[in-house]
This record gives sequence, C-alpha cells and structure tokens, in this order.
Amino acid sequence: MHKNILLIGLNHRSAGVDVREKYALTNVADFEKSLLSACPVSEVMALSTCNRVEILVVADTAKSADVDLAEAVLSHWAGTCSGPLDPLRAHTYCHKGLEAVTHLFCVAASLDSMVMGEPQILGQLKTSYRKAVETGSARVIINRLLHKSFSVAKRVRTETAIASSAVSISYAAVELAKKIFGELSGKTALLVGAGEMAELAATHLLASGIKKLYICNRTFARAQELAKTMHGEAIFFEDMVERLRDVDIVISSTGSPTAIIRARDIREVLKKRRNRAMFFIDIAVPRDIDPDVNGLDNVYLYDIDDLKEVVEENMSTRQGEAVKARAIVDIETGAFATWLKSLALQPTITDLLGRAEEVASRELAKTIKRLGPVDDETRAALEVLVSSVSRKLLHEPICFLKRRTREEGTAERFIDMTRRIFNLDADPVNADAHLDRRSLGDGDEELDCECCRDADPESPE
Amino acid sequence: MALSDLLPMLVIALYFLGTVLFVVGSALRQELLKKIALGFATLGFALHSVDLAQLLTVADPALALTTGRFLFCLLGWGILVFFLLLWWRLKLKFLAVVAMPLALMFYVASNATVGVNTKLPPMLTGLFFFLHVGTLFCSMALLAMAFGAGLAFMHLEKRIKTKAGLKTFQKDMPSLDTFDRVNHFVSLCGFPLYTLGLASGYVWAWLSARRVFSLDPKEVVALVVLILYANLFHQRLALGRRGRKPAVMVIVVFLLSVVSMIGINFLVPTTFHGFKP
Repeated sequence: MHKNILLIGLNHRSAGVDVREKYALTNVADFEKSLLSACPVSEVMALSTCNRVEILVVADTAKSADVDLAEAVLSHWAGTCSGPLDPLRAHTYCHKGLEAVTHLFCVAASLDSMVMGEPQILGQLKTSYRKAVETGSARVIINRLLHKSFSVAKRVRTETAIASSAVSISYAAVELAKKIFGELSGKTALLVGAGEMAELAATHLLASGIKKLYICNRTFARAQELAKTMHGEAIFFEDMVERLRDVDIVISSTGSPTAIIRARDIREVLKKRRNRAMFFIDIAVPRDIDPDVNGLDNVYLYDIDDLKEVVEENMSTRQGEAVKARAIVDIETGAFATWLKSLALQPTITDLLGRAEEVASRELAKTIKRLGPVDDETRAALEVLVSSVSRKLLHEPICFLKRRTREEGTAERFIDMTRRIFNLDADPVNADAHLDRRSLGDGDEELDCECCRDADPESPE
Repeated sequence: MALSDLLPMLVIALYFLGTVLFVVGSALRQELLKKIALGFATLGFALHSVDLAQLLTVADPALALTTGRFLFCLLGWGILVFFLLLWWRLKLKFLAVVAMPLALMFYVASNATVGVNTKLPPMLTGLFFFLHVGTLFCSMALLAMAFGAGLAFMHLEKRIKTKAGLKTFQKDMPSLDTFDRVNHFVSLCGFPLYTLGLASGYVWAWLSARRVFSLDPKEVVALVVLILYANLFHQRLALGRRGRKPAVMVIVVFLLSVVSMIGINFLVPTTFHGFKP
C-alpha cells in the first residue's frame, strides 16, 4: 500500500508571464476530475494563481509502476490548456515524495512567493483545497498534507518574523505612521490628488482605524467620487493648506510640476496646531512637497525613494528569517514522513496496543495507590485483568481494520481515522481545525467525557 | 550572616543582573532575556522594599529619615516605582534600560553612605520630610523616566528624519508620540512637585535662620534646575512645544539634578545636604 506523492508545477521563477498565462488552469475542479479519470492517480489537488500552478497528485505505487506519472500529468495539463507539451516541460519542476511535501509546506508558508511572507498564498491554497474536497479528489493523504501545510504556515508566521515588516510602498507608509503616532485610531489623513499607490496607502490607513479621511483634487468632482468610495470627505483644492491644521497624515500624489505644499505654509500650520506632529507621504514624481518640510520640528516627510529604501530593508530582514522558517519546514516534513509510514496497518496496531498498555498501567498504578499495600498475587491478577480488558476492547477494531485492508481503497481512510480517534500521533487540535464544527454553546466549555474523570473512592456508589 | 547584611548584597546582585541581561537582551533582541531581567528587577524591587521598611523599624524612625542610606535607598526605590507605573500604564518596558541602572546606582550610593547623616533639622521629619524630600525625590524619579524617554525619542526621531531605516528597532518599541507623552506627563506632574519640594526647603530656611536663599552650591544648582524646569513647563503647557526641544530640555534638567544629587552632596561642602565624610 505504498504511495507516490508527486508535485508538478511552474512559478514566477521557472516561467515568464507568457508561459504562466498560457498554462493557467481556468477550471481547476474540471481539471482535477479529468486527471483522476485519465491517469492512474488516487488523489489530486491543483492550485492556479497568477504567479504559480501547482498540481499535487498521489498514486498507488503498484498501480502506477508501469506509467511515467510526471509525463502523464504534464500531457494532461498541456492538453487541458490546449498548448504544446515541450515548452511546458521546459518550464516546470517536478518534486517527488518528501521533496514534494517540503515544497508544498514552503508554498503555504509563503517562502516560495514572489514577495516572501505575503499572506495571500495561504488563502489561495485553502480555497483550492476546499474545491478539491468538494470535487472528491482530495482524500486521506492530501487531506492530511494540506492540514499539515496550514499548521506549518501558522507556525512559521508565529515563530519567525517573516511577515513582520512591510514590503509594499503603501504599507511601509502606514508602518512609518505608526512609528510616529502609535495608534492611528484618533488621527486624520488627507489624500491629495489621485494615484493607485496613494489610494492604496489611504485604504491601509482606513483599515488601521483613522478617524477621518479628507480627499482633495484639482477636479472637485473626482474628489467627490473618491470620497464616496472611501467614505471620506471631499474638500476644494484651494482650501487644502487651511485644512492641514486638522490633518496628521498627508498623502500626496498629484501631477503638478512644482511643489504644492511649501515649508513656509507648514510653519504657519504648525503654529496653529500647537506643534502636533505631521507625517507627509509624497508619492508624486515630480515631488509635490517641498523637501525643506522635513527640516521642520515635528514634521516628517517621506518621498517615493525613501519608502522604497524602507521596503528594501524589510525585504532583507525577511530573507534572514527565511532560514529559520526552512528549519521549521524540515522538522514538519519529518513529522509528515513518520505519519506516512504509520499508514500501514501493522504500525497502527502496535501503536494502538501500546497506547492501551500505557493507559492500563497508569490506571492500575492509581488503583494500587488508592488500595494501599497489596500482595504480589493480587497485583499480578490486577495486571492481567487490565491488560486483558484493554486488549479485548481493541480486538474488534483491529479485526475491522484487517478486513478493510482486503478491500479496495478504504484501508487508509479507516487507519487514518483510527489514528485520529485514539490520537496516536499526539497532534494538537487547533480550535479552528474544523471551521464547520458545531458551537458548544455560549460558554464553549472544554470537551470532556465521563470516562476521563476518576471515580470518587468515597462515593457510596 | 544576618538577613540585614545579606539583603543589600542580594538587591545589588539582582539589579546588576537585571541591568546586564536587559541590555544584552535588547541588543540581541532576545525577549526571553529581557523577561528574565525584568523578573530579577522585580525581585530586587521587592527586597529593596523590605530593606527600606527595615530601615524604618528602628527605635527612632525620625532619625532614620536623616541617614544618607535611607535617602538614597528611597530615591532608587522611587525610580523603580515610577518605572513600574509607566510600564503598566504606557507599556514602556524599554525604560528599564534607564530605571534599572539608576536604581542600582542609587542603591549602591545608599550603602556607601552608611554611618553618614545629614543635618536634617527635627522639624523636617514627618510631614515636612515628605513635603521636601518626598516631593523632590518623586520629581527626580519622574525626571529619570523622562530622561530615558527623551533619549529614545531623539534616537528614533533622528532615524525617521534621516531615513536611516528602522531595522534596529524592535516591533514593540513605542512611537514618538508615546515618548513625547512621557515628557508631557513629567513636565505636568514633576514641575509642581519640584517647586513644592524647593519651596518647603525655603520655608524651613526662613523659619530656622530667617533667610530664604544663600549661595550654598546645592541651593544655586537647585534654583537653576527650577528655572529650567519652569521653562520646560511653560514651553509645553503655554506654547504647546513638543518633540525634540522638550526632550533635550528634560535631559539637561535630569543631568543637572544628578550632578546636584551625587556630585554636590558627596564632593562639595554644603550647609544641609552634605554626605561628604
């Protein structure tokens, strides 16, 4: 019952945008279904985004022994995209076994992304997995592998600083604003002009909870239009300097050939606002804000080049954190390999009996402690009793599993289920492990069962 | 060895370890080291409190108030009290880097002044003691915190202004606004306390010697500090000055206070404040 795990894909490093757009999978669900019927594979999951396509397949070793699985998947992929096979072969990578597992963990943890540490890839992977579950193409191995990859991504995020610093211009501006003002909740911002990056920075500021956003444009109608979409207030361009008195953060991105905000204006504004700090973000080229503004006390000015430097610095920090993240990925790959081996029946039976023995001895020790001194004969009789109860209790489940191994394709599911029911892999269960889990009620009490509680020896019953 | 002999050594060791570990932890960005350092500091603070209480449990507590050991011990303790308050209210954990060495320095100074008594007049005990020494020490402890916040403000502001990058700053480092709030709080509370402390001293001088001011070095420096402090208070509250200039002023005021407390008390002969053996 050995399994082949294979991952074939292309990404922003292996292929240019022309190849990526040609071989992007527009209907992933149909592709998974057709691959299941066309190739000797038992499980499939495909992920297709603008930067990558990853096709993960699992096949029985015996069934796929005579087939070049990688070639078969590539041919099917090329056929689905109506493209030639050779260019696809030239731009794809193929990982087998634990290499495929490591690669998937790296993708989930955003170590393989164009912007390392970006969070979107995990969401895309979760969506693809959900689709594969709905299609029925994800079964025991892919289920486990994907759940594990989500937990690896979470671990990497919490244990390393891979996602801690801003790597986009607009987000870097918001991070800087936080270094100046701390909480942005009571602050006011002004967006001067319109430009994609400036609007994005304003959106980030809104998401950080700023109190009010003013929008100013030479064309008042455009300002009103933007104000409507961003829930801000449009102001006339002529009133801008006067309004600066109430504004803490200014994002400017106009097409003006000369500076529209000068140092002498700001000097007056500062007096009126009793020297409260101001942060200017100048994304325009040529610049909208007089560079001398940065020389004033309590005023901070960053232009596009300054922000780029911040982003580059943060990128280098992330590269350093990637080393730590890869170490986590290696450890988790090892854990997955152990689980994969345990999918054979015999290790599971051994683990089950071992667990039963452990529980039996622990409970016996408690009982003997409660009873006080007992003679050797009684002790031996009690040992036989608990051992026999635990083994007999497991007899039927073990027979059931043995019967399933004689059937086609069901053994792994039941073996995996058994391992999870008895928690043989000692996996921690996250609160959000199953999003569709029914709520336990208002209190969300801890899961507990009567058999876990020790019987009260003083109780009359 | 008796507990009273062991206690100062334990407090010094804990403050020293706390200081070193916090500085190393900050340099290496090791949160665990900083947590251990703060644990040492908290334990040291608890023992420091016991030591302080022990000093007051002598036969004549009023006499204990005049000892150099008690006074310096109290100042070090006060600095840590304000640090713990700011840590709790404003999450200014990094101020430990200033509070711990200062607490250590004043605690060591307190033990160096064993057997040395000030010429504190009897009427300065009790309520008057707290009006003069208590208020001045509180004001100085506040200044110590503003000193740390001021240095951090200037460093962070310089990096932001010169676009030198923020890589060396930790994620939990407070913002410029938070540092400035410490300065504001210290100006608002510290100046009235300092004024009250000084005024009570002058009242006593007038009551006892029918004079308010002499050219005693301690009094001269205290007056200079008061003028600078008053200027800071005015700049902040009346003119709304913020940021770098108040930060620089508070650093100067604090350094002058330290000069007055350590330099003049130990090295220069003064009328009432000398610890010079």
